Amino acid sequence: MKTLIGMIKNNFVLMVLILLVVVFICAYPKKFLSPVNISSIVRQFIRLSLFALGPTFVVVIGSMDLTYVGIWMLGGILVWYVSSWIGPFAILIYPILGFVTGLLVGVIQVKAKIPSFILTLSITVTYWGLTAWLSGGYPRRVKGFGFITASLLPYLPVALLWAIPIMIVAVFIMKRTRIGTYFYAIGSNEEGAELSGIDVEKYKILAFTLSGLFTGIGLIILFPLLGGSAPTELKLGSIVDPLIAIVLGGTPLVGGSGGPERTLLGALTFAVIQRGLSLTFWKPELIQLLLGLVVLGAILVGARKLKGMVIT
Amino acid sequence: MPQNEASLLEVRNVRKTFDSVVRALWDVSFSVYPNEIVGVVGENGAGKSTLMKILVGVFPPDSGEMYHLGSKVPFPKNPREAARRGVSLVPQEKGVVMHLRVYQFLFLGHEDEFTSFWGLKTREMKRLARDILKELHIDCDVDSFMYDLSLPLQKLVEIAKAILTVRLRCKDPDITPIIILDEPTAPLAVEQREQLFEFIMKAKKTSSFIFVSHIIPEILNFADRIYVLRDGKVVAYHDSSSQKVTEEDIFKEIVGRSASEYLYKTATSSTVRDRVCLSVKNLTKKGYYYDISFDLHEGECIGLFGTAGSGKVEIVRTLAGIMDFDDGSIVVDGHSLKGMEASYVGLKYGIGYFSGETGKELFLNWSIARNISILNLEKILKWNGLVISPAEENELAEEIMRKLRIKAPNPQTECYSLSGGNKQKVSVGKWMEKSPRILLLEDPTIGIDVGAREDIYEALLEMKKNGIAMILVSDDPKEYLLLCDRIAYIKSGRIEKIVSPEEFEAMIREE
Repeated sequence: MKTLIGMIKNNFVLMVLILLVVVFICAYPKKFLSPVNISSIVRQFIRLSLFALGPTFVVVIGSMDLTYVGIWMLGGILVWYVSSWIGPFAILIYPILGFVTGLLVGVIQVKAKIPSFILTLSITVTYWGLTAWLSGGYPRRVKGFGFITASLLPYLPVALLWAIPIMIVAVFIMKRTRIGTYFYAIGSNEEGAELSGIDVEKYKILAFTLSGLFTGIGLIILFPLLGGSAPTELKLGSIVDPLIAIVLGGTPLVGGSGGPERTLLGALTFAVIQRGLSLTFWKPELIQLLLGLVVLGAILVGARKLKGMVIT
Repeated sequence: MPQNEASLLEVRNVRKTFDSVVRALWDVSFSVYPNEIVGVVGENGAGKSTLMKILVGVFPPDSGEMYHLGSKVPFPKNPREAARRGVSLVPQEKGVVMHLRVYQFLFLGHEDEFTSFWGLKTREMKRLARDILKELHIDCDVDSFMYDLSLPLQKLVEIAKAILTVRLRCKDPDITPIIILDEPTAPLAVEQREQLFEFIMKAKKTSSFIFVSHIIPEILNFADRIYVLRDGKVVAYHDSSSQKVTEEDIFKEIVGRSASEYLYKTATSSTVRDRVCLSVKNLTKKGYYYDISFDLHEGECIGLFGTAGSGKVEIVRTLAGIMDFDDGSIVVDGHSLKGMEASYVGLKYGIGYFSGETGKELFLNWSIARNISILNLEKILKWNGLVISPAEENELAEEIMRKLRIKAPNPQTECYSLSGGNKQKVSVGKWMEKSPRILLLEDPTIGIDVGAREDIYEALLEMKKNGIAMILVSDDPKEYLLLCDRIAYIKSGRIEKIVSPEEFEAMIREE
């Protein structure tokens, strides 16, 4: 019995996810398990997790990275510009832009010691401005990347097959390598990390760079998946949703614990909640309200766990 | 002070335990008379801060009585209530709100007395602020920001704030405020302390002070009466007006053992080797220490001994790269280090720094195994350094746990659940596994029990045998005798003499 309670406590989010799935299946057996619904859950899961994986590195070191939306927007226009010369290779703009942005943010953050939240937010707003200027104000569609999202097997999006290796690499880096260990160390106790001989500044820059790079690589898949164009308007949802996936999964914003595997779980849970609620006949406003409460609850639960850690 | 005069504040038989196990205070009686400075000394963890916090109502005692102006009163429930009786505390650190102007800071928490329909009456606040600063002879502009003031000036403004708090809260205008100063000199350099003492001596005409410190000379010079606390009890009491006390008397009372009790030092042959690994020349940081020079050999331990505030801690922190220095040189194996060199650079040349302040260098939400391996990742990497091997990580931790007798179910136990002593052992264990060339030790066994201490000494001695050089700073003379091959006696920031352990023993025993 005790082990059961321990298991539930340790895998709280997983339990919530299972519970939600059961509830939705009972309430809407046909609709929830329909191929359309499943594939849209998977789509949503891919979207959330590929946007959230990179920033997870940064959240683990106790900072914040919001540049993913900026990279998505500016990259879309750059791809459109370049695709007329180099065709499908234009999509490689994304990882390059991600890498450069991450490195830039990391260096500025470490050298100028600006709070990363406001720094990355201003970078995103800057990129938004650039996007609007370069695009002339409306989204530019780029065709020719359909092969990335082409359907090989029925109902199974190929995008998922592409995304899985990215997810595995992210988890691997955080769990099994020196880099990941050092990231956790910095987030858990920065002074301690310094005293343990870790070059904290270098690894902070590395975290931001990896974040940008993972976002960029993820966007190779997301760009065609999300319609072959990037928005030119900054929407709150596109900034907040990946953060919700991170927090819901159980990576506290103060850093030091959690990680990419938790972000994946959070993304899946969030996708299930969103899709499940949209099956109801509730008004969209009500659904939005409920989503807000879910996130609030997740943060409270996370904070309580943290408190226990500090006191004992 | 005359005993027939009524005491301002008195407590009798105060007892306090934490979590019903840790005994913080046991039958402590304590009193304050008008216009005096009461010194309270003791080691870290002796109960000084607990007593002060009870006086200002931060937490209640388990039992005991409190008398105010001779009549029995309940203990205060919060600092506000204590201030009504005239007691106010100046905290050791973090008491200053840097981004406020001086007058805003002075009246912080008392704004409700200065509100009008149009907002705060800033003009009146400034006028009153100017008045009190003038009355206390504090020379600063009420419009300047707190962060622009020098450290001692900030402390003075804090004291002014404490006095002001009492005046505003306490309705009786004739009350003598009791201002509690918790380690007020800790962040100040030697010269800056003078400024503070001068001020306190002047302010004594209108107030009483409780001066908490572990710096003995300060207490001796300024306190009218001295309470010595050890393990939660008042072990000694001195009245400076009627008897003469020496620094050594108080030192012995604080530590609680005479030097002869210490020794069980195993007569090991010296582990000192010929090769010099660290050479310090004329190292100077103005206000903290001057002209420090010594050579450290492999397998040698040099102790820097002196009272708190002598500059010994600052020297070690400079070597660790935490503090800057003005002049002189630090040379490790022919490479000279700069001040504020980040720890990872120091570690490249083999300098490790270990402080007994628990939690400072541990990752509390991590397992024991990970805490040990963080310093030793290169030992457990596979695949050309790409992957961490959990099995080897566990093995490494198990060996350290066995060697240091760390009491925990398994290496995966998270560190926050360990006792203080076991936490400390994990910290020592990771350095043991790392075996740097030079290990800097700052209070390595502070606040832990005897058994854990001995395990840690054993580990440190073994490291020494393996050729690791060490520099020790501690509050406990026993540690110097156990670990050190040479002891530098530091007074007012300068090395007075360098002695052998035998001479050192004689020195502390005779005094």
